Amino acid sequence: MHEFSMTTKIVESVLEEARKRDAKKVLAVHLVIGKLTFLGIEQVRFSYDVLVKGTIMEGSKLHIEEKDGIVHCALCGYKGSLEYEDDPVYHVPTPTLVCPKCGSKVQIAAGKECTIKSVKLAVQ
Amino acid sequence: MVEAEEGEIYDIELEADLLKENEKLAEKNRALLQKHRVLAIDVMGATGAGKTTLIEKLVKALKGKYRIAALKGDLTTTIDAELISRHGVEVVPINTGKECHLDANLVKKALQKLALEDINLLFIENVGNLICPADFPLGSERRIVVVSVTEGPYMIVKHPFIFMDADVVVINKIDLAEPMKIDVKKLERDVQTINPDAHVVKTNGRSGEGVKEVVSALEL
Repeated sequence: MHEFSMTTKIVESVLEEARKRDAKKVLAVHLVIGKLTFLGIEQVRFSYDVLVKGTIMEGSKLHIEEKDGIVHCALCGYKGSLEYEDDPVYHVPTPTLVCPKCGSKVQIAAGKECTIKSVKLAVQ
Repeated sequence: MVEAEEGEIYDIELEADLLKENEKLAEKNRALLQKHRVLAIDVMGATGAGKTTLIEKLVKALKGKYRIAALKGDLTTTIDAELISRHGVEVVPINTGKECHLDANLVKKALQKLALEDINLLFIENVGNLICPADFPLGSERRIVVVSVTEGPYMIVKHPFIFMDADVVVINKIDLAEPMKIDVKKLERDVQTINPDAHVVKTNGRSGEGVKEVVSALEL
């Protein structure tokens, strides 16, 4: 939903890093995006292509790694993927924070990140 | 960590989480509010769900007991801010312009405009939107999501993420459930499926029905 502003921040951060290291070109950017965020991969890619035009990032390869939702139960210690309730009424299964082991509420441990994991720079 | 590769190409691990930036600011807001013993309550929901009306009713019910202020996020207008401030509480309007949600930085700036030592309860009304606020915690202690039966039967399952962090879910305009042919029990079950700890309260914001229950669900 806010891919353009997030991608703007991503591009700014990468350019800043490239400047600090006197890079001539950014070759690749590796992002990690959690599946529990509202960031659409398609829209991030589209925004990226628009934003890098005319910068040293133009032509760089964008790798996006999607990260599954992981939940943790403080009560019974369950740690695993976020469960989905499959109600035949709905087309898309509903994510649930009900612990599959003990039924109490689990906490989200992963899946809400938007991380620049690494960048590949050419310095000459 | 910097690793040199093939002479002049560098692979740099950044591990910079951009959403974490907002979370860190939210934690600062939380610490600031705690320092001044201000309980902040985030109110989220679609445009027209009844967020402002609910806040008005809560202000009316609680202004004898608490010293209240409000932050009111809106894209362009200050209509709602005026509605709340006529109850004699200070309201800081936050016009986001084009942004579809409040973020921790906007809230931080708004908090600077309030005399925090003079209040102990703060309502933060988010922009009318059930999607984006889910990615942007603000630093509040409790979160209310308001839905209304006029938004249709699938309101909750279509926007599951916003309900995951909710402490209280208000199902509003309950008087219209019958003409709208909405199965309120189903809505309640949808909330419990997504978030078993959320308190569900049914209200009629206009008449004030259920407001008392919202107050106790918020432990106020």
